[in-house]
Parts: sequence; structure tokens; C-alpha cells
Amino acid sequence: MKLLVSSVVSLLVTSGAYAADAHYALDPAKSTLEYQFTQAGALNKGKFKKYTVTLDVAGDAPSKLDVVIEMGSLDTGDQERDDTLKTADLFSVAKFPQSRFTSTQITKTANGYDAVGKLTIRGVSKDVRVPFTFSAANGSLIGKVTIKRLDYGVGQGDWKATDQVGNDVAVTYALHLAAH
Amino acid sequence: MSIRNTPTRWGHIAQFLHWLIVILIITQVILANIAEDLPIGPKKIEVYAWHKSVGITILCLAILRLLWRWANPTPELPSTLKPYERALAKVTHFGLYLLLFAQPLTGWMMTSARGFPVSWFGFLQLPDFVPKNKALYEAMKDTHDTLALVLYVIIFLHVAAALKHHFFLKDDVLRRMLPFTKKS
Repeated sequence: MKLLVSSVVSLLVTSGAYAADAHYALDPAKSTLEYQFTQAGALNKGKFKKYTVTLDVAGDAPSKLDVVIEMGSLDTGDQERDDTLKTADLFSVAKFPQSRFTSTQITKTANGYDAVGKLTIRGVSKDVRVPFTFSAANGSLIGKVTIKRLDYGVGQGDWKATDQVGNDVAVTYALHLAAH
Repeated sequence: MSIRNTPTRWGHIAQFLHWLIVILIITQVILANIAEDLPIGPKKIEVYAWHKSVGITILCLAILRLLWRWANPTPELPSTLKPYERALAKVTHFGLYLLLFAQPLTGWMMTSARGFPVSWFGFLQLPDFVPKNKALYEAMKDTHDTLALVLYVIIFLHVAAALKHHFFLKDDVLRRMLPFTKKS
């Protein structure tokens, strides 16, 4: 019995060690984090220039995703619009310089994975499901999630109206991660 | 009065297009001035969106108008006109037609160069006329603003001439573009 228990323990430890956690971090030069939104009925695009992404992988399955975005690095291709987006009524960047997604659980899906966790923007946290595909071979993490800006208070005062600036924001990520 | 033009009178279609475009141009001037004075916000975006949609509408109507003009007789200018008056009328009319195209097109180029795509009344997103380019945006904005002033001058000449024909020369040049009037 003692032998059996010790065998099981050693097996567990061994298999745990075998499925050692790999830790992936972002290669910013090869990654894009973009968003699409409607403005005046037309589709507009923007991106973030500074953000960090880490992904823990247990065996060959992603186990934890963490994304931190520097909101001051938002870039919609127009200085005036970027400055406006950083003001208190929109992203309020001075007060909330970062947005963050931290997964609590990652599950396998038909096409890839779902990271379920908390997304915090402008100080408001909401549970979201972030779908993605991940290839350990080349470190690519790709996907798209649509969120509603007003869920996070992005749009106070006049900006609460959604007829000119839509509520839906599609965030697309094509990231390259490198194992560390 | 007929649908089509005759050698002495503008038909229903030509009159309709003329006066519809008059109303839309006045609308454009009002919208542009309202938008310019508004602080940055959804209201400003909305008023500019209307300005862009109406501008694209004018461009389409201008195309229809030219096609209709080519497919119809053009009422002749009064034979009493002196050669320089005849030339001035031709230049003024040519300038008006040119601006009906130039203003929407420079506006469209301006917003595309700025990187703001145009949607026609929220129904249809137009392709970007030119790629995003800050210098081109500045140039197109200056051109659009300047052409607006040129348009005001030509419209002033056009209206002054129409009123001169009606009240001083007492011919039918104005009346033949007016609906609900009889041929004198």
C-alpha cells in the first residue's frame, strides 16, 4: 500500500514535471492589436501600440492569458480623434492608464480556446469570453472579440449616444508569442 | 409645359433638378457653418455626416443633370444679349456646373485624406477616394473652403443676372426656369 501510494505520488510528480509550464511572452514587432468601430455610419479602425501579453501553457494547452494595454498608446490615425478618445468622457487615460484582461479559466473549443476572465477598461471590470487560436509551434495567438464600449463607461455625457459612434467595438488580435 | 426641355423653356425635370440643387446647396452652407462652430462631440460628427451625405447627393444629381442637359435641347439665350454678356453667361454657367462636381469631390477627397470614411446617410459606405495623407488633407481643405467662396461669387452673379432679366430687361429668362409660370 505504502509502495502504491508512493508510486502514484511519484507518477503525479513526474507527469507534472513532464507537462512543465511553458511561459510565452509577446513579440511586439510581429504582433497587432486592432479595433474597429462605426463612426458616422462608416467603419473606422485603430490600433494599440503598447501592450504586453503573457500566456502560460501547461503541456500543449494554454492555461492562463494576461493582457495589459497602455491606453495612451491608442492610435486611430488622427491626432485630434486620439486626443479626444483620451479625455475624461471617453477612456479617461490620465485616471485609467491601463486596460487589462486576466483569464480565470481557459477551455478547449472546436476551433481553439476560450479564455474566460475579467476585462477591465476605465476602471470597470466585466466578465468576458475571449476566443482565440494558439499554435505552440509558431507562437501565434489569433482571434477576435466584440465588446460594448458603454459596458465600461467609455462614453459619458453626449458620448453615451450610439447613433454616431457605435456601441460595438470589435477587437482583433494577431499576436506572436515567444516561449521563455 | 413638358417634361423635356424645348428651345424656349426648361422642362419639368430640368427645373426640378435646378431647384432641388439650390435647396441642397443652401442646406450645405448651413450644415457646414453649424458643424464648424460645434465643439468636438457626437453632434459635430452627426452634422458633418449630414453635410457629406448631402454633398454626395448633389454629386449624383449633378451627373443626372448633365446627362439630362445633353439629352435635351438647351433653351437659347435671348438674341438681345451682347457678345460679352453671352460669354459671361456661358462662363458663369460652366463655373456652376464645374463647382457642382468640384465641391463634392474635394470634400470627399478631404475626408478620405483625413482618414474618415464617408457613409451615405448611414446606408452605404463609400470607398475612400484617396489614401490617408495629411498634406493632401490640408490642401483639399483649403481648396474646398476657397471653392465655397468662389461658388458664392458665381451664385451672386447668376442670381443678379436672373433678376436683371426679369425686372429690367423684362424677358422670360427667369420665368422659363420657374415652375407654375406661363410662357410670355
